[in-house]
Amino acid sequence: MSTIFYHVLLAICFLSVGVNLAVAAEDAPYRVFLMEYCVSCHGAKKQEADLRFDGLSDLPREELRKQWHQIQQKLAARDMPPEDAKQPDAESRAWLLDWITKTYGEAMEGAHWAFQPVIRPEVPDTVGPNAIDAFVLAKLKQHELDVAPPADRRTLIRRVTLDVIGLPPTPCEVQAFIEDSDNLDVAYARVVDRLLRSPRYGERWAQHWLDVIRWAETVGFETNFERPNAWHYRDWVIDALNDDKPYDRFIFEQIAGDTAEADAALGFLVAGPANLPDQIGRDEEAMRHARQDELDEVIRTVSQSLFGLTIGCARCHDHKFDPIQQHDYYAMQAIFAGLSYGDRRLRGKQDDEWSARVPQVRDKLAALERELDEMQKTYQLRPPLETIQTELFKSVHVDAVRMEIAATDQGAASLYEFEIWSVADDGVLAENVALASAGATPAAASFALANQTRHFDNLVDGSVDKRQAFPWVAASAGPSWLQIDLAAPVTVDHIVWHSGSSTPASYEIKGRDAESGRWQSIAHTKDRLPRTGDMRAATDVWIDGMSRPQVDALFKLLLEIRATQSESSRLSAGPQTYAASFTATPDETWLLRRGDPMQRAVEVAPAVPTVLQKPDATSKPEREVDRRLALARHLARPDHPLTARVIVNRIWQHHFGVGLVETPSDFGRMGARPSHPELLDWLAADFVAHGWSLKELHRLIVRSRTYQQSSRPRDDALAIDAESRLLWRYPPRRLDAEAIRDSILTVSGKLNLQTHGPGFDFFDQRGGLSDYTVKETFDASGWRRMIYAHKIRMELVDIFGAFDCPDAGQMTPRRNLSVTPIQSLGLFNSPFTNRQARFFAERIRKDVPNGTKQHVERAFEVALARPPSATERERMLELATTHGLQQVCRVLFNSSEFVFLH
Amino acid sequence: MNQPLSRRGFLARGGTSLSSIAMTAMLAREAPSASSEIDPTRPCAPRPSHFVPQATRVIEIFCSGALSHVDTFDYKPELVRRDGQPLPGNEQLVSFQGPNGNLTRPLWKFQPRGESGKMTSDLLPHIGELADEICFFHSLTNKSNTHGPAENVMNTGFSFDGFPSMGAWINFALGSESQDLPAFVAIEDPRGMPQSGPNNWASGFLPAAFQGTAFSTTKPIRYLDRPETIPVDADRAAREALRFLQHEHQKRFHGDLNLAARVASYELAGRMQLSVPGVVNLQQEPEHVLRSYGADSENKTKAEFGRNCILARRLIEEGVRFVQIFNGAYASGGRINWDGHSDLKKQYDIHGEILDQPVAGLLRDLKQRGLLESTLVVFATEFGRMPMFQAGNFGRDHNPDGFTCWLAGAGAKKGFSYGATDEFGFRAEQHRITPHDFHATILYLLGLDHKELTFYHNGIRRRLTDVHGRVIEEVLA
Repeated sequence: MSTIFYHVLLAICFLSVGVNLAVAAEDAPYRVFLMEYCVSCHGAKKQEADLRFDGLSDLPREELRKQWHQIQQKLAARDMPPEDAKQPDAESRAWLLDWITKTYGEAMEGAHWAFQPVIRPEVPDTVGPNAIDAFVLAKLKQHELDVAPPADRRTLIRRVTLDVIGLPPTPCEVQAFIEDSDNLDVAYARVVDRLLRSPRYGERWAQHWLDVIRWAETVGFETNFERPNAWHYRDWVIDALNDDKPYDRFIFEQIAGDTAEADAALGFLVAGPANLPDQIGRDEEAMRHARQDELDEVIRTVSQSLFGLTIGCARCHDHKFDPIQQHDYYAMQAIFAGLSYGDRRLRGKQDDEWSARVPQVRDKLAALERELDEMQKTYQLRPPLETIQTELFKSVHVDAVRMEIAATDQGAASLYEFEIWSVADDGVLAENVALASAGATPAAASFALANQTRHFDNLVDGSVDKRQAFPWVAASAGPSWLQIDLAAPVTVDHIVWHSGSSTPASYEIKGRDAESGRWQSIAHTKDRLPRTGDMRAATDVWIDGMSRPQVDALFKLLLEIRATQSESSRLSAGPQTYAASFTATPDETWLLRRGDPMQRAVEVAPAVPTVLQKPDATSKPEREVDRRLALARHLARPDHPLTARVIVNRIWQHHFGVGLVETPSDFGRMGARPSHPELLDWLAADFVAHGWSLKELHRLIVRSRTYQQSSRPRDDALAIDAESRLLWRYPPRRLDAEAIRDSILTVSGKLNLQTHGPGFDFFDQRGGLSDYTVKETFDASGWRRMIYAHKIRMELVDIFGAFDCPDAGQMTPRRNLSVTPIQSLGLFNSPFTNRQARFFAERIRKDVPNGTKQHVERAFEVALARPPSATERERMLELATTHGLQQVCRVLFNSSEFVFLH
Repeated sequence: MNQPLSRRGFLARGGTSLSSIAMTAMLAREAPSASSEIDPTRPCAPRPSHFVPQATRVIEIFCSGALSHVDTFDYKPELVRRDGQPLPGNEQLVSFQGPNGNLTRPLWKFQPRGESGKMTSDLLPHIGELADEICFFHSLTNKSNTHGPAENVMNTGFSFDGFPSMGAWINFALGSESQDLPAFVAIEDPRGMPQSGPNNWASGFLPAAFQGTAFSTTKPIRYLDRPETIPVDADRAAREALRFLQHEHQKRFHGDLNLAARVASYELAGRMQLSVPGVVNLQQEPEHVLRSYGADSENKTKAEFGRNCILARRLIEEGVRFVQIFNGAYASGGRINWDGHSDLKKQYDIHGEILDQPVAGLLRDLKQRGLLESTLVVFATEFGRMPMFQAGNFGRDHNPDGFTCWLAGAGAKKGFSYGATDEFGFRAEQHRITPHDFHATILYLLGLDHKELTFYHNGIRRRLTDVHGRVIEEVLA
């Protein structure tokens, strides 16, 4: 540092700092600060974390800048000095933070490439119209390589068809392309347009997006229960892609779809796993922790999929590698503080129809209820029991009370609490004497054994808070009894019971006379109208004053009322979809020290990471939705450094196997640097300029010469770039699980193209913890495209799960492409593939009625989009002649050529 | 195997390590250690460890549902003495399922065993007899008190789903000596899947080649056999035709290792078809061996579990790297696993009978065959249980704050106990350790540095031990 600069600095410091630091006039204030608070651990004696601050000025400027920014970060987050060490006052701390910024500029974050604004680069000089080729070629030239010659038409149409729609081309399509007399560019452009118009396109590319956000139709964790209404989101993604919904709009609806008639799009935010309330412990800490986990999944989804950043890493500490502070994490959390998981109303046409039907159903219900009132009057029945029932009676003097339960509305007898109330007397208030604390002793016929207590002690524990207390439950269904012996005789005049897992339907309550010791009846249900929810068979019910047919009629009416009630509530609630819901009044958000929900540090306002956008203190969002709208607007900024780069890279990845950035959900420092940085930026800029159209982007990529080149390996190029990252050929790769299954079904002629709606099953159950049994054979409903399979978290599907099909446990922005013997066994031996091989053979025989030779040729055309070579034909003909055409079909399904994209 | 180019050829041509031409770029960038690479045509080929290992193979016995330490291996005389009294300082303790009652003595008698005189209970007398072989860890703690997440922690290091299991990490690091069998085998309990199911043997974000293959004596590998509808000669002809077709295809894509890997996978599948039925078939096991594992028991579940233990030994003998045996299945109110909330005595008497003799038989057999010197036996569960009974119940609630696991065999001290819970078995007090420490120690015995065994995923170089873990040197022989 120059001397003049140093003195100027010193002067500034003295002006701005008060007494604390100015006293050490002989030394720079920053040094005083360091000596006072830091050097005892980071100095000559100790060098915690290998850091030493006593000789900072000896470092080169760049190093020095880094060190100061590190200090700034730690100081700002109050990570340093450690809690147990001497703390600077707020003023000194603020001064030093400010001084560092003034001296060394903003923290270094800006330097990382992915945080720089996208500036459309110049396209290198080149031949041909496609800018992609210019960038790729320029890079290849640097390595003295060249692109490969174009792939032949058969290879090309198979490649682009499988890549764009995830299904192989039909022989007709192949033939038409080969015979198209227009030049390749024109003929190929026609094919590309056709594919991008196909509804199959959305089905293919939606899967890639669902992988990124680990979308599934079960909750995960221990219970893994089904989310039966989650599929609307899958359909929404497919439709959005097919409609070429601009990507900025695609983002907007997934964050704020409730404002845009796109409720289903909010399935995005709750794609991840979440514990159900029942699975969460009963203490405050467990509940706070669970809430933090829920929001953490949302942050991970949003930050990795849209930002391409691992903001989730900053939950407990500042990000280790990226300029994401812990504060940023909680600011992001605050954006979603109003969010909850669960079903929400799916507004739209169906909802309007249902709403229109509500009045009619309500009228019907009212009529049925009037009918019930009439019955009650006719037979002079008392009103039905409540779930918390008070039985009033003439006061009795008793030392014990007993309830004999003959029947319940459903299942074993159960009560949370049984209260016996004394008579108020001359200034003495009535009190519940049936309490363990008052000396009451409970007993019951039995109690159930379960993970939690179902003991009769629970009857008199004085607590009915269902989060803290437990009910008594009898060991089995059927008649049961309970008895409370009181500490001393009491005059009582009412009893209150709280229903448990069932509600008593038929019972008698008796009191034991304190003097005579005789039991006398004090309450009963013989003349009560049954509850609407009474599930007993009418034949089990006797009511005073009613004949058998009359009871039958009553129960028939109850059944109809129940059905109408549930119809009414179903229609009033509207169609439901599993998606995020929001409360208008979110809880406040706190920065949590070490991510511990019990250690709240400071309250945090909603904001995006400061490295991307300076917080604007003046605009505090008023409504909950404003928080999310601000996020959506931020992401859709045309100059956003990440949004476009991240999605453009994802699309590139699925066309070429690897992205320009190899780590598609991590554009941070730990992620890979782009192989072609200028190309990435050019694509991003062009994408935004073309209205965020994904289909335009696909078109641009697949029509490039780079995409259309041959995939044949060349020894010289392999030696320089074995992974083909420089794109000296089209890099071949194995198809993913869905494309393999869908291809098999296409080829066998069995593919069912039904779109939308609940998914088909790979297992015998649609959710649950364990014991899934796989389905080995399917009918047409299971021959839909695999994206329409009901997706169970953490349960790999049969055969195709082994092909690296993700199980939605973690986000999978890029699949592994393993090759394992389990894959081979499944594909070669499973009933599924062998049955499809049989269908394939039948189809071939139908396509070309005569001649085994013709059959073999046709089978190759259908499966591989090419005729067999002479030797192949000879060999397969032999197999077909000796062991049947089905074996040829089985072999084709297993051939590398079938499961590879070349 | 028809391999167009030798491994050496690739190395020479690439000018760098083979890892630059691996089957996926992801795999390519990753090598389990600086000195080893993964050959995509043989992803489970043996690879050197970081340093000289004590153990070369692992058998993990996992007790799903949380085995009560105070009723088995962690002897607490004070718990016997204060039976029926409240837990001092925690009289009103509310734990996972709700309020707790009073301290309850172990439901089985403890006795000194072996020369070490280690006190273990009569619930598991056969295992107790082998106390001199065992290195007990009495001070394990788990951060989750819920079965699924806690089981995940014990087997993957993370409470969330989707992280690679310990067996997958070890397979990734070391490959396998056997080229005819899967490198990592998971053997389910005959009664059903453990709580977090296949996540216990998943590969997470590691390539699928490293995941556990689940099969047992009663549940074979799926689709191992030729379909019944296809005659032997047709099957053979189809196989040969496929080989021919692959060869033709490879000729056109000379040098593509992915294709070579695919050919290799069919070859290994073929070898597995021959070797797995052999290893699963216990008919050649002599009578006395079956008897010593309890595999001849009239108790069907015990016999099946005993057979699974024999299978584990046979797999280890064939060079399989990691075998995981589960004892106990899914959540069932303790009916078919160790989750004894409501009626612990009755349920554990059933479960103990199933577990005890087969595990003891396995240890004895390994020792007698000299395999225990190079095989590490890991005995684990997700957490322990409370020294109290739950209020209104005859069982114990979850206790993640102190529980027992053990190691036996290669490199672990014999007849040794490490760490301790307090006087009631309520809380680990002396040498508190985490599953990360336990994992770090297991990896160490396999010659692996837990800090060096990493794989990049979503922004971070992941480890089995997260950012924690300490090798517990005190237990090393």
